[in-house]
Amino acid sequence: MNPDILIGISQATGIIVLFSSCIGVLIGLTVGMIPGLTISTGIIVLLPITFVLPPDVSIALLLGLYVGGMTGGSFSAILLNIPGTPSASATAIDGYPLAVRGDAGRALGIAITASFIGGVVSFLFLLFIAPILANFALHFRTEDMFSILLFGLTIICSFATKSLIKGLLSAVIGLSIVTIGQDPVMGTQRFTFGQVNLMAGIHFLTAMIGLFAIPQLISNINSNNNAKGRVKEKLSSIIPNRLDFKKIRSPIAIGSTIGAFLGTLPGAGGPIAAFISYDYAKRLSKNPEEFNKGAIEGVAAPESANNAVTGGALIPMMTLGIPGDPVTAILIGALIVHGLAPGPLMFLERADFAYGVIFSFFWANIFNFCIAILSVKYLVKVLATPTYLLMPCLAVLCVIGSFALRNNFFDVYIMLIFGLIGIFMKWLDMPIVPLLLALVLGSQFEENLRVALTASQGDVSVFVNSPISLSFIILSLISVIWSLRTARKKKRSIRA
Amino acid sequence: MRRKNIIAAVAIILLTVVYATLTAQLPTRSLPDTPGPTFFPWVNIFLLLVLSISLLISSIFTVKTVENSDEFHEGPRKTKSTVIAFISFILYLILLPSIGFVMATIPFFAAMMVLFSEKRFLQIIIGSITFTVFFYILFRYGFNIFLPTGNWQNLLGAFS
Repeated sequence: MNPDILIGISQATGIIVLFSSCIGVLIGLTVGMIPGLTISTGIIVLLPITFVLPPDVSIALLLGLYVGGMTGGSFSAILLNIPGTPSASATAIDGYPLAVRGDAGRALGIAITASFIGGVVSFLFLLFIAPILANFALHFRTEDMFSILLFGLTIICSFATKSLIKGLLSAVIGLSIVTIGQDPVMGTQRFTFGQVNLMAGIHFLTAMIGLFAIPQLISNINSNNNAKGRVKEKLSSIIPNRLDFKKIRSPIAIGSTIGAFLGTLPGAGGPIAAFISYDYAKRLSKNPEEFNKGAIEGVAAPESANNAVTGGALIPMMTLGIPGDPVTAILIGALIVHGLAPGPLMFLERADFAYGVIFSFFWANIFNFCIAILSVKYLVKVLATPTYLLMPCLAVLCVIGSFALRNNFFDVYIMLIFGLIGIFMKWLDMPIVPLLLALVLGSQFEENLRVALTASQGDVSVFVNSPISLSFIILSLISVIWSLRTARKKKRSIRA
Repeated sequence: MRRKNIIAAVAIILLTVVYATLTAQLPTRSLPDTPGPTFFPWVNIFLLLVLSISLLISSIFTVKTVENSDEFHEGPRKTKSTVIAFISFILYLILLPSIGFVMATIPFFAAMMVLFSEKRFLQIIIGSITFTVFFYILFRYGFNIFLPTGNWQNLLGAFS
């Protein structure tokens, strides 16, 4: 066996790493189930802690939170008909009717089991595909990398946004913000206005805290989120019986495959995978009329899909350094803080660590299943936690998180500015995710573009002469055209 | 939505003009046939202008549909809460470096609890003090993150 795999396994099975994975899962399950808090918020809250922990421990903590958060979202979807995370929206369609019927425990058990299988399938995807892709990516030249990054940006604008123009605008605003600080090729200072604190640019984690947490805080004030509630029903028969398991086998297989595949596409994410899997499971079911009324297959398919997305999203993150969603963007940030840049070189220079991350992901899924099955009865009591305590805690943790990044109060003010930008963008219905992705990828994007043009002495045909680059440019164009056609169809149906 | 799109497009066009002015003032040192430090900002400016003008034009010529006319209106009470929350947050960040984490966080936490509809005085006092002290101890002693302790000597000196 590859010695790096063995080192990775031993790294992921250290007592402290396993313990941190358990804690991450527990926090993830809690954060995921509370409506008004997202997995991204949970990770932002944990960020200051990860700065002081060793990289293997902090990544295990964050992966545990990622996996746990996906499962936790289904708890409130099933029990209260309020999805804790957007990925759990499809679960509520059949999960809540099951709970109303008095089968809440059964629905939760199926959600937990499906999440576990989805997670393990995506772990296998990650384990076998990531090293191959990373090896292939080692041959990429700057023009290829530029086109891949372009593809990552355009696909997220096409998939994750309601309006393509607004999505692209959000991404270009992000690319413009990235130009603040030192130019990545020549080192010239740009837009720093003599401010020493701006010379290194704006750290995207600071921006991310402001962009995600502050608008969420404000919207919770506005909605006076009273989603909390006590679960009166006693939860029983949580572990699925043999008959149930027979019924959910194929929906889980469908959900896991779709989820793991869609997870690899930046921007597709959990909600899309969950709804597509739900739809496929319904179409392939022998009893499609039972869907929407409390079919266990309708819980299994989306739950396996949204957890399978997690492993899928780690593939482009680890092999190309491209985050598939906000959570993997934060994970990249957490790794960079520790001096570890995800990308093809990680599998070459720190393959042991890369495999350690993959096996930590596996353990996170195991712990997620065990903790969720054993403690779901007690965990759901968290749903009664009052918002008046949660939200002030979130506000204070935002400040601590942005301060702890560089022990600099300037970052706290930057976080506040980005909070304002986030509120304004939300009010204008402009998507935040493309901006975030641009903040993460912007510097690489500019560097690869300029280096490729310098090498070709300003000849732009360099981007179409390379087959890899050309393929990704074509894929970018397809994603844009597809998005425009979908928008046109939608407009026509509204008019009709 | 139509009105918001127009506001967004105009705001971005104005910001792009500022961005272009600042870019024009940047040093343009570069080798022949190689893109310099201003190259990427100019690409961004071009894209921002094209996209925001497209958004503006498409919004102006969009027929008002039921969906488009469904503008989001917040109640006056909610807007007031949002403004108060933001002012409290700014005040908190201004006071934090000079009076320290604990002294600044307790009143901020209490204010946020009130904004999130907690009315019981005792709960507010206990909650704000307990959580603030908990966070301070956790990060200071648990994770070695030195949260601001304030500049009391300077503050007292200013009053004496």
